[in-house]
Amino acid sequence: MSQLGKDPQHNTFSLWQMTSLITSTLIGVGVLTLPRTTTEKMFEAGWMAPILGSVLTFFAIWLIAVLSRRFPGLTFIQYSRIVWGGHEQSRLGFWLSLPWIMMFLIALFVTTAITSRIFGEVVVTAVLMDTPLEVIIVSMFVLAVILCLHEIDTLARVNEILFPLILFPILFIALASFQKAEWNNILPLIRVPWETIITGAFETNFSFQGYEIMLIFFAFAHENTGKVKAGFYGIGISVFVYTLIVLAGIVVFGHEELQRVTWPTLELVKSTQVPGLILERLESAFLAVWVAAVFTTVANGYYAVIYGLRQLLKKGMLFQRIASIVLIFPLFFVAIGPQNIVELFKMTSLIGYTTVWISVVSPLIHWLIMLYRDRGRKREKGSDAHG
Amino acid sequence: MGKAWASLCCLLLFMTLLTGCWDRRELEERTSVIALGIDLVEGRQNLYKLTVQIPIPIKIAGSSGQGGGGNKDAVKIMSVTGKTVTDAVNNLQQRLNQRIFLGHTRVLAISEDVARRGMDDIIDSFRRDPQIRRLMWPVVVQGRAADLLEMKPGLIQIPVVFLMDLIENGTKMGTIPDQTMGEYLIQTSNETLQPMLNYVQAYKDDVKWKGVAVFRDQKMVGSLNDIHTWALLQLRDEKRGGDVIVPLPGKGGGYISFRPHFVRTKLEMKGSHATGQDNHSGHGVAYLCEIQGDIIEMTKNVEGSPEEVIVMLQKLIKKEMEKRARKMLDILQKQYNSDILKLGLAMRGHHYADYWRKHDWFKDFKQFPIEVKYTIKLRRLGMEMH
Repeated sequence: MSQLGKDPQHNTFSLWQMTSLITSTLIGVGVLTLPRTTTEKMFEAGWMAPILGSVLTFFAIWLIAVLSRRFPGLTFIQYSRIVWGGHEQSRLGFWLSLPWIMMFLIALFVTTAITSRIFGEVVVTAVLMDTPLEVIIVSMFVLAVILCLHEIDTLARVNEILFPLILFPILFIALASFQKAEWNNILPLIRVPWETIITGAFETNFSFQGYEIMLIFFAFAHENTGKVKAGFYGIGISVFVYTLIVLAGIVVFGHEELQRVTWPTLELVKSTQVPGLILERLESAFLAVWVAAVFTTVANGYYAVIYGLRQLLKKGMLFQRIASIVLIFPLFFVAIGPQNIVELFKMTSLIGYTTVWISVVSPLIHWLIMLYRDRGRKREKGSDAHG
Repeated sequence: MGKAWASLCCLLLFMTLLTGCWDRRELEERTSVIALGIDLVEGRQNLYKLTVQIPIPIKIAGSSGQGGGGNKDAVKIMSVTGKTVTDAVNNLQQRLNQRIFLGHTRVLAISEDVARRGMDDIIDSFRRDPQIRRLMWPVVVQGRAADLLEMKPGLIQIPVVFLMDLIENGTKMGTIPDQTMGEYLIQTSNETLQPMLNYVQAYKDDVKWKGVAVFRDQKMVGSLNDIHTWALLQLRDEKRGGDVIVPLPGKGGGYISFRPHFVRTKLEMKGSHATGQDNHSGHGVAYLCEIQGDIIEMTKNVEGSPEEVIVMLQKLIKKEMEKRARKMLDILQKQYNSDILKLGLAMRGHHYADYWRKHDWFKDFKQFPIEVKYTIKLRRLGMEMH
């Protein structure tokens, strides 16, 4: 805290805040369908998918952290033009970096919209059957806009507070459902060829989308916190939760049944009996708490888009506030775009492929160019930010 | 000025408390169906008859004050027909003032005729409807399903709760299989499993659990009686099952009753992973079941030293239980050809490459070698010494 930048809210994210930022962004609507999507190709071995798929994610978050360490205090929007053009040719750098930045912002924008749409679908099918989908989506957006009206440290604190609320219900459900486990369901351990496992694991990587917001938020890390460490913690917790929930789904339902249910995790909640029977029909309670998890995903993504735009255009807080309200309209239309649930899931996997571009390929290219052109501040010897 | 704004804001804030849920629906604004019964309509093969049991809240709440009496009217029973379950529910809706709510449905009674004809037609709507609990109890009723809903047990105001308690307590005691809707759905979608459901018979004023109805491909093929179901529970779920009553040998007659307490079952699989000819290539399984329990009744004293008597009794009980299990397996294999033992799941899990891929379990189960071996450990003799 001794370090004070020119902007007071900069350099304030603690390790824990960054970890919760990553984890709560990752854990969103994906968890509700994860047991189905992972077992689609890998059958009984579906629980390995999050573990294997995370390898690429760990690599990507490492890349993002390394890039951010090279340009301390700068976001992807700011350092991308330095990477491409250096300090001398900033105009060239701007134009060269623009496609990457726009790709990042648009993908994040669409992801945010689709996330809120999926959440709306779950709520409409499972609890509030007569509520129009639009109302649920818009109320989620309004919450996101309210967050966007504030500075970036508010975002970090909100995530920190909501973090346990996201983690505990899902852990509780996974652990409570193990009492109905039929362990023969995960055997034979591997029956599909290795290529299938690799593709399956690669596709699971899509459910790790969202950590690319760290391209922006790593810039606000406190000087002494290890960004790589925060990234690894954040992804690690998500991998743990994902693996647990997929494992629970497989041992309770078996992979065949998982293929037949639209929201496997919700069905898991429905077939879990709480000892003592205080709450019957647990799924409503679960979804009520689940709002927090989806909110952090949607709001963090939306905030990153708005903040990225603000930095791209070099505007201030007022712009951020106006933009957050104005952009809600296109966001809404993207969200209600897909006609039915089949189209929606198709779109989700499509977004998954773009995410690989945003969060792996783009940082990789930036990193390579940075090394080639020798840009940015090099790490001083010995003072490794690994912490 | 600031104060005015502050109070205005407070007022606006209070307005948020006045809002409600969008599709809020009070308890009395909907008709909660507690049980559904599905029958075939006599003479009309393409129609289903749906019977529902609807509790009347005011009767239930009032009766405790009135001190019982007249509790026969605590529920309303209605019947409608329809081409599908949803069609029937819609027809029912036209006869009800409030909206039907299936979220509290606890029992789905299916008549044996419907079960024998095949469940695939009726089960889909239960799979799709988000209100339906996966923890509800589907049961197959001998005779008409409507009879089950119309029974009047007297002990409890809502008749179906009587059945529900009966099943729930049975599953807690380990004498009735824990066969919920969710389990049934899993068993129908899993290629290795065959479904089963609890099988009950309805009388005028009570209901009897009779065992399980065995299915093959969503079609009921027969049933197991209570004794065979207990053997199945011991082998499949390590549940204790009911008391075993064995006649004593010799001319004196008399019976002993054995109550199992702890069951440990080990499934021993034979057959190498390497070989893979036709036939069973040495594959086979043995259930090794160890039961600890007490003697709770002996109508005639057995002569001999206590040590000898214990050994003798253990042998006697073991023989009887192996006989029952053997019979149960024979019925399942020879008669019904339906694997409700979860044996296919174990075979797929442990012998995938060498057995499962080369054999069609659906056909091969019939002659698959299964052995059963019980080990009885008598622990206590109750409060009496001999």
